[in-house]
Amino acid sequence: MIHLAYLDAGSGSLIVQAVVGGVAGVAVAAKLYWRRLVSRFRRQPTDQR
Amino acid sequence: MAISPTDLRPEPGSFRDPANRVFHLGHDVLRGLDAGAAAHWRALAGTEFFTTLLADGKVCGTEAVDPVEVPDGVPWAAVLRHERIPFVSHPYEWSFTMLRDAALLHLEILRAALPAGFTIKDGSAYNLQWRGTEPVFIDVGSFEPVRDGEPWAGYRQFCQTLLYPLLLTAHLGVDFQPWLRARVDGIEADQLRPLFRGVRRLLPGVPTHLHLHGAMQSRHAEATTTDVRAQLRAAGYSRELALATVRGIEKLVRRLDRTPAASHWADYQRTCGYSAQDRAGKEQFVTAALTDGSRPALVLDLGANDGRYARLAARHADRVVAVEQDPAVVDTLYRALRAEGERRILPLVMDLADPSPGGGWRGVERASFADRAAADVVLALALVHHLAIGRNVPLAEVVTWLADLCAPGARIVVEFVHPEDPMARRLLANKPEGLFPDYRREEFERVLAARCRIARREDLPSGTRTLYTAVVGG
Repeated sequence: MIHLAYLDAGSGSLIVQAVVGGVAGVAVAAKLYWRRLVSRFRRQPTDQR
Repeated sequence: MAISPTDLRPEPGSFRDPANRVFHLGHDVLRGLDAGAAAHWRALAGTEFFTTLLADGKVCGTEAVDPVEVPDGVPWAAVLRHERIPFVSHPYEWSFTMLRDAALLHLEILRAALPAGFTIKDGSAYNLQWRGTEPVFIDVGSFEPVRDGEPWAGYRQFCQTLLYPLLLTAHLGVDFQPWLRARVDGIEADQLRPLFRGVRRLLPGVPTHLHLHGAMQSRHAEATTTDVRAQLRAAGYSRELALATVRGIEKLVRRLDRTPAASHWADYQRTCGYSAQDRAGKEQFVTAALTDGSRPALVLDLGANDGRYARLAARHADRVVAVEQDPAVVDTLYRALRAEGERRILPLVMDLADPSPGGGWRGVERASFADRAAADVVLALALVHHLAIGRNVPLAEVVTWLADLCAPGARIVVEFVHPEDPMARRLLANKPEGLFPDYRREEFERVLAARCRIARREDLPSGTRTLYTAVVGG
């Protein structure tokens, strides 16, 4: 279930918390960006059809 | 609890989270919870970390009471009764160290909650209040079970209302109070970033919490938080990581310190030229005013400076609010009171010629100073000449304002500095001659007597200062 708080946490504010959490956090942020990048390339062939 | 809905007054500052809302019922402070919030409360009430925070007084006293109907007809699933905060204050009335201690308490509570499976759903400075010099977390409705893999939703709010104001003062020596007073949601990253260019980019906390955070906000403005939460969870964001982030912010906040600039007021008690006899006479007069009658619950010391008379008042009253306009002086007073273990005096920053107005939504979300003050005794010592000569406020206006800060039957202890006094002469020398023909003792007495009953009057040995005890409406 996706549960949203009453407060808009801000997407950038959520991601930056991974980065400020030290080495492990940077790894999480890197993984997030890598997945985003990969999914963009994966999606392309289906988009072109 | 059989209560007529008309007896309940909704708290104007409590509407942002629809899951719970604060109401006043006489002297009681109640919080209505919807079904979801009630379930969170029941889970929270049984945890060890929460009972410890309650026992230590770090969270405001809270107990469940029978549910009541509220005026809008919403039947709350649960109702809590909170401890009453003696005097509600706003973050723009706190000094630097007060804001820092409030931020540290907020983080400490979050750090205690996370391992127990709870988080705080926001991060506002308005979650905190003061019992004298002790910060207390009041937003019990904001605890909720943490969902693993999600960062703190309140981080941005924490930055805007706590961390950025602290960075502004600690790194640049700029007072944060006017910034917070002007913006109920605090300082946004993009508003602060232009002040941290060049080498200032590298100051502690600035590269990450300010610049990177601001850049990320712009970059991800289009992404929904729902998507980002899911992506972070999939990328392995853990509760341990959330804890490490909180610890990191805590370490940063602990390091931040202000560099007090030399100010006129910081030296006031030393340079203001009271003789020892004047001071002794004044202390006796104030003590007599405080002890003549029932014990005051709340004393306002207006123009408190180093807190000499606030401390004196604290010996004879339950609570004292010491108001002073210079943030550096208030900060020094706060630190001194903490060091002394004096917990019943709340020092506040406020320019008394420009007291806090109502703020936020419709100007009532954050109550004005006049709306919060209902003092049993008001001390206005060496204040009137600063307002009347320094700021051109007519004497009758000053008296009306003092009386309006009082509960019915309250006493005002006010000092009138004669125009011949060296301090008054110094102020008068900055204004055109003859600008204040009404600034005379007889005229002051006349306007005071028009509004109050003058119960006592005494000239200090110097002969250029007169003290009055006036009973409001008497």
